[in-house]
Amino acid sequence: MMPMAPVVEAIDLKKTYMLGKVPVQALRDANLRVESGEFLAILGPSGSGKSTMLNLIGALDKPTEGKLLIEGVDISTLNDNQLADLRRRVGFVFQFFNLIPRLTARDNVELSMSIAGMSREERRKHAEELLETVGLKDRMNHKPAELSGGEQQRVAIARALANSPRFLLMDEPTGNIDSKTASEMMRLIKRLNEEKGVTIIMVTHDQRLAREAKRIVQMFDGVITSDVMN
Amino acid sequence: MKTRDVFGYSFSAIKLRKLRAGLTILGVVIGIAAIVALLSITQGLQNTITLQLEKGLAADTLIVTSGRGFLGGGVGMGGGFGGGDSDFRLMINDTATINALSPDIETSVAVIQRSVQIKSADRLVTLNIVGVDFAQYAGIYSSTFVTDNGTISLNPENDTVVIGKLLNDPWKNGTLLFNVNDDVKIIWTNSTARPPKDETYTGHIAAVLKEIGGFNIGGPSDTGVYIPISQAQSFFGTEESDMIIVKLKNSDNATITAVSRAITRYFSYEVSVVSSSYVLGLLSSVFSIIELFLAGIAAISLLVAGIGIMNIMIVSLIERTREIGILKALGMKSRTVLLIFLGESVIIGLIGAVIGIALGWGLANIVAIVFSGGGPFQGIGGNQAATPIGNGGMTITPVLTPTVLIGALAFGIGVSVIFALYPAWRASKLKPVEALRYE
Repeated sequence: MMPMAPVVEAIDLKKTYMLGKVPVQALRDANLRVESGEFLAILGPSGSGKSTMLNLIGALDKPTEGKLLIEGVDISTLNDNQLADLRRRVGFVFQFFNLIPRLTARDNVELSMSIAGMSREERRKHAEELLETVGLKDRMNHKPAELSGGEQQRVAIARALANSPRFLLMDEPTGNIDSKTASEMMRLIKRLNEEKGVTIIMVTHDQRLAREAKRIVQMFDGVITSDVMN
Repeated sequence: MKTRDVFGYSFSAIKLRKLRAGLTILGVVIGIAAIVALLSITQGLQNTITLQLEKGLAADTLIVTSGRGFLGGGVGMGGGFGGGDSDFRLMINDTATINALSPDIETSVAVIQRSVQIKSADRLVTLNIVGVDFAQYAGIYSSTFVTDNGTISLNPENDTVVIGKLLNDPWKNGTLLFNVNDDVKIIWTNSTARPPKDETYTGHIAAVLKEIGGFNIGGPSDTGVYIPISQAQSFFGTEESDMIIVKLKNSDNATITAVSRAITRYFSYEVSVVSSSYVLGLLSSVFSIIELFLAGIAAISLLVAGIGIMNIMIVSLIERTREIGILKALGMKSRTVLLIFLGESVIIGLIGAVIGIALGWGLANIVAIVFSGGGPFQGIGGNQAATPIGNGGMTITPVLTPTVLIGALAFGIGVSVIFALYPAWRASKLKPVEALRYE
């Protein structure tokens, strides 16, 4: 049996931004390998390069140097259209949820399926199932402004799961919700990982939250400083 | 993403900003309405004039005037303008020569036209008076040079005057302007005399013509005043003819062409010969130019609307930068982002064009009603009257041709899309990371 390619593999990954005329090295020779089914937390203070790492893994950006393989494919070799296709297979949960304000919870979840070209009936049914999974079935006709932070977060998770992604990327998942909601959220994420086998990569600066993950990668100043199983 | 979903998404974005979308659409509506209204009125006017001309200018008559220029010496409009720089003038007795030119010519009649004032006890009207040989004229226009009231003598007295129906009963309510047996003063300002002086004689209205309808060239008209040619010759002191009307034995194109050539050649190309087909052709080309000109003016307003669309799209693009970032992060292709923005402009253009066509059509009909209902003698008042060669009770029915309809629709959508191209392209080129960071 062929060994499956790792979900994510970073080899000597470098990313340099130009801040005005000053180059800023956000990532310096980062190496990381994530296998299917893992629950990984990337922990680090702000400016440590963890968000840059997240954007690269989410195929939102391309590395300056080094390789980033997603399911064995080097994203540097992909054109804009191929990157867009890749993003559909990545479930990204943003820190600020990034829901479309004028669409209802269900329409927001449907949106990613509509982008993937799914038919109306199919995506409607699937969106309802997903919202049920995250416990929001009775709130699905509300717009983001009518939902609490925790509820918006769950809509964002449902949307991220819509196209059956290879992994779920979460940026500060508890950054904008209260602690009680946060622990409910973590229970949901763990359940998705354990019961449905969803690979989860979570970026946070919160040590307590990181301890919930099975594996903790610490970053500082653009470099991975430690990588331990929990 | 499916096309239907792209449009659905575009539409949801438009719905969110109803007032803004409404104002943008209004720009398109005004432009399209202007185009449709102007073109359908012009088309209607052309149809009306063509119809009247076909009635007024019989296919089997030719009109010969001095000069080689555009419509010779100003057909039917009193003469005096055009005519080029030649000294050549048609003479009244040239009719005999013309009659002998071709066996296809049945007869011909010379016409003298002058602008005069006609005065009764309490009315004064300025118009063109026509001097013709009544017998010959009645021979050519046997169906229209016919009396409604009074008698037309084929061998008239010198003071005989025959008037068109509109000079008798212009308001069509029994209030008469001039009537049979009225004595009227005919005043002509002789501008060749030094100093110019008014010549006057008293005419006696012997007959009123039956209503003819329309206007025409050469033939009898509802607003015409006719006096015997001999009287015109002595009163205006001339042997020259302003035009000679030639009646042919048939209206074949070959006959028209052959006779026209024979006449112009005989007069050494110093005359122009006008046939109804020539006039209709000329009219059609003049109207094409007018239509192009009007459509051009209206198109400018649509251009302004286009710039409005571009402006709104750029504002909308900036406002929605983050949204575009989200869409791209969810895997939307740049092309789809482009289509969403273009979709918005298509919807705006389509709604604007449809409303614009309806509005323009409505406007054209209102203008037509106002224009037609105005009546022929609007200028009359006091004792100084306007020349009653108004629209002669002409009605205009606006025409919306399929070309204009489809053209307006395509133009409305086209302009919207063209002006949305740049903003849409910019939106599609946004980088997801930067767009998501946008506050």
